[in-house]
Amino acid sequence: MVNATQLKVRGGSRAGSVLVTAVLIAAAAYFVLPLVWVVTATTKTTGQLFGTFGLAFGDSGQFVSNLGQLFSQGDGIYSRWLLNSLLYSGVGAAVATALAAGAGFAFAKYQFRGREAAFSVILGGVLLPATVIALPLYFMLSAVGLTGTYWAMLLPGMVSPFGVYLCRIYASASVPDEVIEAARLDGAGDIRAFTTIATRMMTPALVTVFLFQFVAIWNNYLLPLVMLNDVDTYPVTLGLTLWNGQTQRAPEFFELVVAGSAVSAVLLVIVMVSLQRFWRAGLTSGATKG
Amino acid sequence: MFVNSRSAQGRAARGMRAGVGIAVGAALVASLGACSSEPAESGPVTLTFQTWVPNIEPVVENFNEQHDDIQVEVEAITAGPDGGYAAMLSAVDAGNPADVAQVGYDQMASFLLRNALEDITEYVQDDVDVFSEWQLAANTFNDRIYGIPQASGPMGMFYRTDLFEQYGVAVPTTWEEYEQAARQIRAANPEAYIAVFAANQAPWIMGLAEQAGTPWFQAEGDEWAVDIANEDTLRMAEFWQRMIDEDLVKIENDLSSEWYADIQAGRVLSWMSGSWADAIIRGNAPDTAGLWGAAELPQWDAAEPRSASWGGGSSNVVLRGSDHPREAAEFALWLNSNVDSVSMLTEAGAGWPAISDVDSVPAIQDSPEVFEFFGGQDIWDVFAASNEQIALDWTWPPLTDSLYGFVTDEMRSAVESGTPLPQAFENIETRMVDEMEAAGLAVAR
Repeated sequence: MVNATQLKVRGGSRAGSVLVTAVLIAAAAYFVLPLVWVVTATTKTTGQLFGTFGLAFGDSGQFVSNLGQLFSQGDGIYSRWLLNSLLYSGVGAAVATALAAGAGFAFAKYQFRGREAAFSVILGGVLLPATVIALPLYFMLSAVGLTGTYWAMLLPGMVSPFGVYLCRIYASASVPDEVIEAARLDGAGDIRAFTTIATRMMTPALVTVFLFQFVAIWNNYLLPLVMLNDVDTYPVTLGLTLWNGQTQRAPEFFELVVAGSAVSAVLLVIVMVSLQRFWRAGLTSGATKG
Repeated sequence: MFVNSRSAQGRAARGMRAGVGIAVGAALVASLGACSSEPAESGPVTLTFQTWVPNIEPVVENFNEQHDDIQVEVEAITAGPDGGYAAMLSAVDAGNPADVAQVGYDQMASFLLRNALEDITEYVQDDVDVFSEWQLAANTFNDRIYGIPQASGPMGMFYRTDLFEQYGVAVPTTWEEYEQAARQIRAANPEAYIAVFAANQAPWIMGLAEQAGTPWFQAEGDEWAVDIANEDTLRMAEFWQRMIDEDLVKIENDLSSEWYADIQAGRVLSWMSGSWADAIIRGNAPDTAGLWGAAELPQWDAAEPRSASWGGGSSNVVLRGSDHPREAAEFALWLNSNVDSVSMLTEAGAGWPAISDVDSVPAIQDSPEVFEFFGGQDIWDVFAASNEQIALDWTWPPLTDSLYGFVTDEMRSAVESGTPLPQAFENIETRMVDEMEAAGLAVAR
């Protein structure tokens, strides 16, 4: 794919651009098909789910009844799971973004002892998969009696080593030292220079960090699995797995799991698409600085 | 035996807690004000119960109503294999487990290996004779009781009565007749098969092996005797190899979309499964209502009928570290032996009751909705007989998750690349013995 792109740039090869387009269309189909399936499956009964063609729609009456059932099962517990997921992801991602912005900016713009050592440690954090640290986190929070509480999900979500890394790189590249100097000459303190000037220039990076962290927390399974023991505090991932485990004994749960997955996926798409606007806005506002 | 061997993970965990945990902890407590103070014990003992049995809350509520001294709160968790077991074991390691938990018979030895179970013998030994023998045996290691059996899935054969009749096929009572029936079905309808060979389904294959005779594992003092590629299992393997070679069974994963479609359309005519599988068929093939029946498994020796369970069953155990093991054991015992409670559990979909006197359970005697789907047949008679024909000698080893992996691995390679099935079972044995020895277990072959 990379070669094809270069071909296009160098020689304007038509074949190359057709190839790229074809590959991109195939990739798009590959990623969109599961989403289409889960939406069409929401319009079916458990029997139709397996007995009919996967991408064909069932009937709209069933769609309404599945959704109705989804939100009424267990006294509307699904809505609660959605709110929990939004809380964990929203608060976690917002705080993580704020911390990453500050840390990344400081790493990029200030000279201090141990800077590179500290940054290396944070880079090490990028390499550790979340799965590996879930159990140690559990033991730590268990020692202070926080497991099973909202804090057990919020605290781990508030740090993003990758975010710090990205913010440092971005701040180095997009926030010129001269701008900070100018702000200081105009009487702005460090905090003011950071909050009013640097963060604006870093917006695309901040949106990226927020999105990454939001999706990572939303889709996290192992952490809530070990941390939480009350259904009322479950996020959507854990709740749907709970229901999925009951399909063997009670197959009607298939409809709930499928509808629940569809709602969760569509919500995530909405969050992504709406935040993408800021992304583009950030890029253009960054472009005016030169 | 393996009860005292603490896992390395557990040790690491404790070290972690003592070191990093406390340091970070002090800061967190100061800023957040954790609320984990222990109130003085007075009034009823409160227990927590982790389970994934659907709709079990009313059953526990019933217990609470009838007990003043013990009150139980349900914590719904994801099914064991989906992470429920991992969550339980971490909580045991961290020292704050639930009091009572749902654990499969197939996982009991693994939990013991992790030192995660309380020995409840002294609390329950005088009352456990109400349970069906093989189910109690699955919870007993070296004469100590580690769990109260709740429910299981004795196997039987669900089949399409209408199509069997249409194709002129008699319900097979021996494996010989089963093969014959498979041929007749293939001859009558080239699209139809008697069943699938489900290489994905370790509990199904192990059920067939259990039914064939010699068990795979035996705990002998400090040692595990392993004999997977035994004479009986190999005979069963040769049988299915012939069925595959002659295209008498369909190679397809069960519980897959294709399989559900085949079951609905009458292209797969039967399924050997646990007693609770009626719900799967009723739920997924509602249009075939009235066209199904249930029969006992075909036999190798009709004079000495044997049966098997699908993946064992499910127990309620007391987790190591519970503050109230006596009360927890009392709850588990009552929940699973009181007749009304057992009947409620059965209705909730827990599975085949573990008590031996199933005639006293109203939910088994009368389930019109189920019987109607099966053309009026009282299918529970079939599974009651099956339950009684399960031998006591099948023992679930530790490390069952690895075993399931080896079984599906080798079965898949048998159907995909043509490794003969008997060879596949030899391979499973070699891999499992290696795995057990690597875990520090004494193994005899």
